[in-house]
Amino acid sequence: MSQVHVFTVEMTCEGCSNAVKRVLDKLGDQVTDVDINLNEKSVHVTSSLSSDEILEKLKKTGKEVKYIKSSDV
Amino acid sequence: TGVNNFSSDTVISVEGMTCNSCVRNIESTIGIKDGIISIVVSLEKKEAEVTYNTSVLDPSTIATMIDDMGFVAFVKA
Repeated sequence: MSQVHVFTVEMTCEGCSNAVKRVLDKLGDQVTDVDINLNEKSVHVTSSLSSDEILEKLKKTGKEVKYIKSSDV
Repeated sequence: TGVNNFSSDTVISVEGMTCNSCVRNIESTIGIKDGIISIVVSLEKKEAEVTYNTSVLDPSTIATMIDDMGFVAFVKA
């Protein structure tokens, strides 16, 4: 059962949002949708994985990441 | 220079950096990793020059660490 997990990620430029996207792409089909908003520094991830697992991955980018909430699809 | 003989240099090609905040991010994130002696990232040359402790790390592990950050990295030299 997938959920939409919402995070804020300290992204300052397009390169940063691409890096976040690439890190999430590595999760392959476990992630079905990624919506990144650079202005709001928000990242919405639709996935069957838990928010903790995704938080771990996002932290690898070296950027400040905060978990906001999850909601059912 | 006091650096033990276990240290060696490598050059990692890094694609996907667009501005200096990406450079600082890589240098600070990788710079604190165990076994990294020094790292200099060049935005223009799209590469990272890394001095590392060979008993702890090898070039491909370093490239993977940068790759995990979301950049496309591979060992160049």
